[in-house]
Amino acid sequence: MLNDKKATELFSKSIDGELTETESNQLEVHLSNSEAAKAFAVLAKTIDKSIVENSGISESGDGDSALSQDAKNRMSDSILRAMEKNSNLAATLLDSSESPADQQFTLQNQQEIQPGDSREASSPYTIVRKLGEGGLGNVWLARDEKLNRNVAIKEMNSHALQSPKAWQRFEREAEITGQLEHPNVVSLYQYGTDRKTGEPFYSMRFVGKRTLADAITEYHDRCLAGKCDPLILHRLLTAFLGVCQAIAYAHSRGVIHRDLKPENIGLDNFGQVMVLDWGLAKVVDDSDLSSQLSGDVELSGEALAETLAGEVIGTPLFMSPEQAAGKSVSQQADIYGLGAILFAILTGDAPHEPKKSKSAEPLKIKEVLKSIQQSESPRPRDFRADIPIELEAICMKAMAFKKYARHDTASELANDVERWMVNQGQRQSEYETMRMEGRELRTNTQASVRDLETNVRFMANLPPIQELIRADSVEETTAWRDRLITIFSGLLRAKSDYRSIVYSRLEGDEFTELVRVERHSTVHSNIRSIPKSRLRSGTSSEFIQRVGQNDPDEVYTSLACGALHDAASCEKKDVTLFAGVPIFDSQEENLYGVVIIECDLDHILKQQLNRRFVATDIIVACDTYQTILHSNGQDGIVDESVGKTLQPTRPELTEAITHLQEKMEYIDTTNQQVYGARLWLNANPHGIMFLLSHK
Amino acid sequence: MPTEHSTPEYWVEQYGDFLFRYALKRLRDENAAEEVVQETFLNGIKYYSQYSGKGSQQAWLTGILKRKIIDFIRKRNKHQHDQSEEHDPSNQLFDQHGNYHKNATSWSSGLDRNLQSSELWTIVKGCLTHLPQSQADVFTLSVMEELDSDEICKELAITPSNYWVRMHRARLGLANCVGRQWNSKEEAATHAE
Repeated sequence: MLNDKKATELFSKSIDGELTETESNQLEVHLSNSEAAKAFAVLAKTIDKSIVENSGISESGDGDSALSQDAKNRMSDSILRAMEKNSNLAATLLDSSESPADQQFTLQNQQEIQPGDSREASSPYTIVRKLGEGGLGNVWLARDEKLNRNVAIKEMNSHALQSPKAWQRFEREAEITGQLEHPNVVSLYQYGTDRKTGEPFYSMRFVGKRTLADAITEYHDRCLAGKCDPLILHRLLTAFLGVCQAIAYAHSRGVIHRDLKPENIGLDNFGQVMVLDWGLAKVVDDSDLSSQLSGDVELSGEALAETLAGEVIGTPLFMSPEQAAGKSVSQQADIYGLGAILFAILTGDAPHEPKKSKSAEPLKIKEVLKSIQQSESPRPRDFRADIPIELEAICMKAMAFKKYARHDTASELANDVERWMVNQGQRQSEYETMRMEGRELRTNTQASVRDLETNVRFMANLPPIQELIRADSVEETTAWRDRLITIFSGLLRAKSDYRSIVYSRLEGDEFTELVRVERHSTVHSNIRSIPKSRLRSGTSSEFIQRVGQNDPDEVYTSLACGALHDAASCEKKDVTLFAGVPIFDSQEENLYGVVIIECDLDHILKQQLNRRFVATDIIVACDTYQTILHSNGQDGIVDESVGKTLQPTRPELTEAITHLQEKMEYIDTTNQQVYGARLWLNANPHGIMFLLSHK
Repeated sequence: MPTEHSTPEYWVEQYGDFLFRYALKRLRDENAAEEVVQETFLNGIKYYSQYSGKGSQQAWLTGILKRKIIDFIRKRNKHQHDQSEEHDPSNQLFDQHGNYHKNATSWSSGLDRNLQSSELWTIVKGCLTHLPQSQADVFTLSVMEELDSDEICKELAITPSNYWVRMHRARLGLANCVGRQWNSKEEAATHAE
């Protein structure tokens, strides 16, 4: 609860607009309850109003106050004494009816020229057309009749001319712009006063009407039309570097721009970038303004500091949180402003662009400012998903909510962007190499898979396969079985990647192995034939059933946990490559059985991956189970990730994995970090994915 | 050839009174006002070469004067003892709970009604001179010169809390003074009737 004393304090602050929302509410409640406090509020406002009404510079003033004649005489004498010290000044003042330029040159012709003498000149400008207008003044395209060139002229508008503060600000803008001599800061030619109206103006280099905002809009319009040109983005970023350099220079002179936005960056037709509109610029320490700005240039005695803390200065859409809060700003506010410009380049939108709400009512500035103060800066990739991650990171750092988390200097920000641009070329080349590596991996694996398919088809067409069907005696069966074992063993010896070859009979959902030759699980050179008593039988697995559904000679290939039994009981690490062919009784022409070859895919992959790659990470995954089959890091095989589920392990691969569900290849055009290739298995919706990435 | 309208005397005659009144309102001291106006003219002479427009001369000189006034107030504040502490109207106006004493306030009736602007200004002007210099200066820079709190703190080398104390006491003091004087005026008018 407030008391009257506290309420009057708060009211006093409220007149200067310094209250928080809570304080405002408390005050409002108290004023409605306390007559005395309310009466104080009314009177205090009345007094303020009276003072403001009687303090303007245009009023005639109190008639009873005037300088005494003695005082006037004293002043005239002191002016004359001062003038005697400098006859040139005297002459200038004594005949103000003539142009100072004419008179000054007349005097100079009569006297010996001394250091410290001044020259004055007048330059006639002819207004051509209006270029733009802002809160403080209008900018015109004009013709300098003496030098026969186009210039831009800025002058105060009628509203600003009424305000002494605006006069100071205008003068200050000219002073700051004139002192900042940098290729990316617009050059000021002349500060003068119009003879007819007495109103101040300044002329500066005309850089054309095109601004960075126009260039950004054009780039993003092209992108929307499907004609996104990386070269234009490169040019925009190059322009951005120029802006950073200009701001770094201004900061080195103690000047903070405070209103950085694409509309305040002029672009000429030859790629020149100019930071315009220093009307809201602030000098860090005004007591030493002249020395900070130029070291040896003397400024007028009226150089005034404009620390506008407490007011909200700048353009809300590009404003830093501290600026939106009306706090005193430092160079870090400009770093945020630069980040906001980079944001606009990348997304085509201002960072604090209000989202279109369902209600037609537009957001008020107060609400935008409040939102800027309270919420974290937006992420560029939330606006456009194809923005390079590294560039987004640079932008996010410059626009960090906390000042200390931003780049220390504008040059540091420029360096980050430039480094990204330079690395683009190298990254492109590395990515191309990575693509080659990925395609080679897929091609080599595909060759092994096709070889497997050819072999299983060959095995299925061996004469003993049909002879075993027709054998009607034990001797005959044994003889053909032995023949088949010999051939299967020969193939296993020749193909070190194959684990087993099985010939099974199918009856309904049941299978019975007739011949099984397999490689010993630990002693790989040991090839053995499984005795009849140990041959397996049981319910057919999904794989066997799928093979049985094929037509003659059609191979079905799959990654599975087991060819004979379903995968429920097996570990994901046991995923193996199988190829099977159905066997039909050549006389009856009915399905009789299947021939299946089991292949050690891991062995094939290890052979292929046993060399150096540009890619720092290679993952081979089976998309039946979304399981990692093989993982290679820079230091070799990464065993711990094998068998794990793919997506949670590497979230950055999600987009590639989704893409490869339907496509043969994934190319990461945005970040050039991930390449994906997919190998389709025969007659199978699933396959093998190769995911290569580099950091 | 110098003309009658372009002599230093004419310059002083033309702008002197205006600038003097402007300064007097802000400094409330004739000698001080005269001093800053003289400095303004001398500064105007020194930098005259930068300003040749006829119509803007008064505004330009006012710009210089504003700076001179701030400089003067800064110097005055630097060399003066801060009397704010000894002139806290809160002691008279508020009880121990921070609420207005009964009958302490003189602004309870009719102050916002039918006030003639010139009459009120006369009272306000008088009351400003009764405020402690340190409070009146801060108040003047804020209300008349429209400088914001940071600028004033920087110019006068005072802390923000000191600034707010001075502003608040100045407002309380002014309200108290203006309220009392207006009441006296009203009473006098009633007796005369």
